[in-house]
Amino acid sequence: MDLLSPVQTGYGVWAPLAWLIAFVVVTIVVYLIWNMGESSYKKGTDQVRPYLSGNAEPEKGAVHIRASNLYWGYLQALKGYYDTMVPMHTGILTDYIVWFVAVTALLLVIVGGLS
Amino acid sequence: MKLTKSFNRSLWVFHLNTGSCNGCEIEIVATITPRYDPERFGMKLVGSPKHADVLLVTGPVTKKMAQKVRRVYEQVPDPKLVMCIGTCGQSGGVFYDSYNLDGPIDQVLPVDVYVPGCPPRPEAIIFGVVKALEKLERLEAAQ
Repeated sequence: MDLLSPVQTGYGVWAPLAWLIAFVVVTIVVYLIWNMGESSYKKGTDQVRPYLSGNAEPEKGAVHIRASNLYWGYLQALKGYYDTMVPMHTGILTDYIVWFVAVTALLLVIVGGLS
Repeated sequence: MKLTKSFNRSLWVFHLNTGSCNGCEIEIVATITPRYDPERFGMKLVGSPKHADVLLVTGPVTKKMAQKVRRVYEQVPDPKLVMCIGTCGQSGGVFYDSYNLDGPIDQVLPVDVYVPGCPPRPEAIIFGVVKALEKLERLEAAQ
């Protein structure tokens, strides 16, 4: 099969030669635009960093929108719940074991009392 | 310093206030009003140093601003000119003995043209631009 001949797929036409010509044309245009750029720019200096009123560029993580911003409204709506729950999650294992033992004891009392 | 063709047509100017009292800024704005209209020669103020040929500096350069001035100067692409507008940038002006200065401006940046005055009139600023163009022509002739 001729690699450069158009192929009828039933849904459309695949013409490798047209794509090849388009790719070459786009490459030439990109090269011409790139060639018109300011070549005297000094890499690794402030010339290649964004202008922020003379201030140093902060770390990307400090200025980008974080994932938690996306559900800010959800956290705000349940603020009372989170204000109580977040401090309880101390990250200390013994705290969690105390909770586990306390809740288990409470369940045993309830289940024992009911039976 | 190799000059580009853009200097033959126009000078794009970025204005930087390093602690000025705003008097020079008022005169710079007066300079770009229709009364003088430097834009008919292709000269205009731009919003980013990356688009500028000329850095127009006012004020005596306070300590807080010194690093920012250096950064903005570096962000102006080469070749570039620095114009100092007003007495403060030349000598510190009324703030000359302040504890809070890193300036005057020649202590921080290499200055090409000084426009004296407190503040200088628009005519003086335009004269300074002409002097800057003359300096560019000399540089071009020397190349």
